[in-house]
Amino acid sequence: MKSIIGLFLVLAILVIIPAVNFVFAAGDEPEGYLDRRVVIWNLFYRMMTVAFTVGAVVSGTIIWLCWRFRESHPKATPTPYEKEGVW
Amino acid sequence: MGHHSNWPEWVYVGVVIALMVWVGSEAWNAERLVEHIPADAEVIKVTGQQWFWTFEHEDGTKEIGELHVKVGHAYKFEITSKDVIHSFNIHDYVVLLDAVPGRINTVWFAPKEVGEHAIQCREYCGLIHYNMRGTLFIEEDKSS
Amino acid sequence: MVLELQKPRPIWQIMFSTHHTDVGLLYLITSLSFLFLGGALALAIRAELFYPGTQIIADSMTFNRIFTVHGTTLIFLFILPFASAVGNYFVPIMVRYKDMAYPKLNAIAFWMIPPAGALIWLGFADFTWYATPPYSIISAPGPAADMWIFGLKILGISSVLGAINFIVTILKCKHPDMSIGQVPLLAWSFLTSSLIILVAIPTFAAALLMLLTDRLGVSGFFNPAMGGDPIAYAHLFWFTFHPEVYVLVIPAIGMMYEIIPRFSRKPIYSHSSGIFAFVLLSMVSFSSWAHHMYATGMSFTEKTVFMIGTLAAVPASAMHVFNFIATMWNGRIKFATPMMWAVGGIALFFSAGAGGVVNAAMPLDFQTHDSYWVVGHFHLFVMGTIAFGSIGFLYYMFPYVTGRMYNEKMGQAHFIMSFIGAVLVFFTQHLLGLYGMPRRVYDYPPIPEWITMNQIASVGAMIIGVSMFIFLINMIYSSAKGKLADTDDPFGLGGKYYYPFEAKNPHH
Repeated sequence: MKSIIGLFLVLAILVIIPAVNFVFAAGDEPEGYLDRRVVIWNLFYRMMTVAFTVGAVVSGTIIWLCWRFRESHPKATPTPYEKEGVW
Repeated sequence: MGHHSNWPEWVYVGVVIALMVWVGSEAWNAERLVEHIPADAEVIKVTGQQWFWTFEHEDGTKEIGELHVKVGHAYKFEITSKDVIHSFNIHDYVVLLDAVPGRINTVWFAPKEVGEHAIQCREYCGLIHYNMRGTLFIEEDKSS
Repeated sequence: MVLELQKPRPIWQIMFSTHHTDVGLLYLITSLSFLFLGGALALAIRAELFYPGTQIIADSMTFNRIFTVHGTTLIFLFILPFASAVGNYFVPIMVRYKDMAYPKLNAIAFWMIPPAGALIWLGFADFTWYATPPYSIISAPGPAADMWIFGLKILGISSVLGAINFIVTILKCKHPDMSIGQVPLLAWSFLTSSLIILVAIPTFAAALLMLLTDRLGVSGFFNPAMGGDPIAYAHLFWFTFHPEVYVLVIPAIGMMYEIIPRFSRKPIYSHSSGIFAFVLLSMVSFSSWAHHMYATGMSFTEKTVFMIGTLAAVPASAMHVFNFIATMWNGRIKFATPMMWAVGGIALFFSAGAGGVVNAAMPLDFQTHDSYWVVGHFHLFVMGTIAFGSIGFLYYMFPYVTGRMYNEKMGQAHFIMSFIGAVLVFFTQHLLGLYGMPRRVYDYPPIPEWITMNQIASVGAMIIGVSMFIFLINMIYSSAKGKLADTDDPFGLGGKYYYPFEAKNPHH
C-alpha cells in the first residue's frame, strides 16, 4: 500500500509543479535576453524535488522493511521456505 | 520460486519510464531555450593556454585573465585552445564549454547585474590547472 | 572451495596452481592489497584538500600523479580483480563444473595483473585515469605515461581472457541438467559483464596503441598539431569505459543478489526479471557513452540522442532495486555484516543513480560537469555501490574461504563507520560541485563554503580510513585465529544453498 501512496505522490508532483510553474510564468515574460541561470537552476530544483520525493519513498520503504522484517521483530514469523530449509 | 504475479513490478517499471520521459522532455526543452543564440550577440574570442585565458573583443581589444562586459548586452564566446584541452567556466552564470585545440566551440550569456565573478578552468590541463583562474567584471553600460 | 587456509600448503603450490579457488585466492589477495594502497592515496588527497594552501603534498605534480594512480588502481586493480576473485570461487560451483573452462588461461589472466600494477605504480603517471590528449601526448612526462599505457594494455588483455573464460564456463560447461535460466544470478552477472568486456575493450585497446604512437611522434591521431582530433580519443575512450562502468557494477549487483535472499530467508523475488534486467543493462550500456562529452561542443541532436540512451539505463537498474526490496518483503531478515553492506549499498545505489540522471539531463550537465559533483556521483557508484557490495560479499565468503568466522562486532563497526563516512564525503562533494569547485585541483581559493565542505569531506574520508583499518585487522586476525565456522551454515540461517556447496572441487 505504501508504495501506491508514494506512486500517487510522485504523479501528483509531476502534474502539479509544471502546472504551477506555468501559471506563474505566464505574463511574466522577461524583457531582453534569456537568463540561462534561471532556466537551468529552475530545471535543477524541479528535478531535485522529484528526486528527493522518490528518494524519500525508496529509502523510507527500505528503512521500514529493515525495521519490520528483522528477525528480532515481535511479529517476525519463519518464512514458508524455512520449513524445507532450501531457498 | 515464482508463484506470484508480476504486476507490481510492471507498474513500477511504468512509473520509472514515465519519470524518465518527463526528465528527458524537460531537459530537452531547457537546453533548446538555452542554446538559442540571439542574433545581436557580440563575439568574444576566448583562447585557453597553459595556464591562462586570453579574451579578444569584437573591436580588437585584448585582455588577459580579466574580462570586462556590460550589463544588458548578449555575448557569444568563441572558445578555442592553443595547446591542450581546457574548459572555460563562469560557474555563477552556468557557462561551461571545453576549449579544444583545433575546434571553436560557442556558448552565449547575457549578464544581468553589475558584479565580479570567477572564471576558472574545469578540465584537467596540467601543473597549474588548479590556478588557471580569471575574473569576469560586469559593468554598467555607460554608452546607452 | 572451503578451508583454503585450514590445510596449510606451501605458498608456491597456490601460486603455480591453476585450480579455480587458488586463482580466486590470488585475485582476492591482490585486489585487497591494491584497495589499501589506493585508499591510502585517497586519504592523502583528502588531507591535502582539508585547507587551502599546501598541507602534506609538496607540489601539484605529485598531487596530480596521486589522483591519477588512485583512480587507476581502484578501478582496474581493485574492483575488476575482486570481481574475478568472486567469479573464480563461485561460477564453477554454481554451474556445477569441476573448474573454469580453461584453467591455464585463468592463471595467465591473473598473472598479468601484478606486472601491470607494478608498471602503473612505478611509473606514477599524472594525466588522470582518462589520459586526456593532447595533454597526454604533448605535456605528460614519460616514461610514467608510457608505463601507464602499457599497464592498461596488459590489464585489458587480462580482462578479455578472463571474460572469455567466464563465458565459456557458463555457457558450455554448465551441468546438462541445468537450463540457462536456472543459472544463479551471480553467475548471470558474470556472463553479462563478460560479454560487455568482449565488445567494449577492443576499442580502448586500439585507442591506447594510437595514443602510444602519438606520443612517439610517428602518428597524429589525437594531436591537433598534426591534424588529429582529441575528441576522437574521447569517443573511443568512453565507448569502452561507459560500458565498463556496468562491467564494474553488474557483478556487485550479482553479489547483492546472492546475499539478500540468503539473509532474508526467501528466494529471490523474480529470478527472470533479474536476468532480464542484466541483459537489458548490458545492451543499453552501449547507448550512452557520449554523455561524458556534452561539454566538448556537441550538437543539440547528438546531446539529445545520448541523453535518451542514458535515461534508458534507468528502468533496468530500477528493476534490480525493486527485486531487492520485494525479496526482503515478508522475509525474516538476519542483519549480519554482509546483509548490512548489501542494504547500505542499495540505498547508495539509488542516490548515485539519481545524481546520474541529473548529469545526463542536458543543461544540468553544465553545472555539474568536471566539478566535484561528478566526483561525488561516481564515487557513490564505485564506493557506495560496488565496494559496499564487494566488501559485504567478502564477509559472506570469508568463512567458506578460511573455515573461520570473522569478528561480527568489528564487521558491523566497519559497515557503520564506512556508511557514515561515505555519506559525509560523497554527498558533501555533490554540494561542493554545485558551489562550482572544479575537480582535479591541487589547491583552491579560500572561499568559506568551499573550506567548510572540504573539511567535512576530509573528516568523512578519515572515518572511512579508520574503518578500513578495523577491516584489515579483522581479516588478518580472524583468518588465523578466528573461531572455527560451521561451513554448512556459518551464519546460522538454518537453510541449505540452492546450489550444491558440498561439491568441493578437489585440487588437481
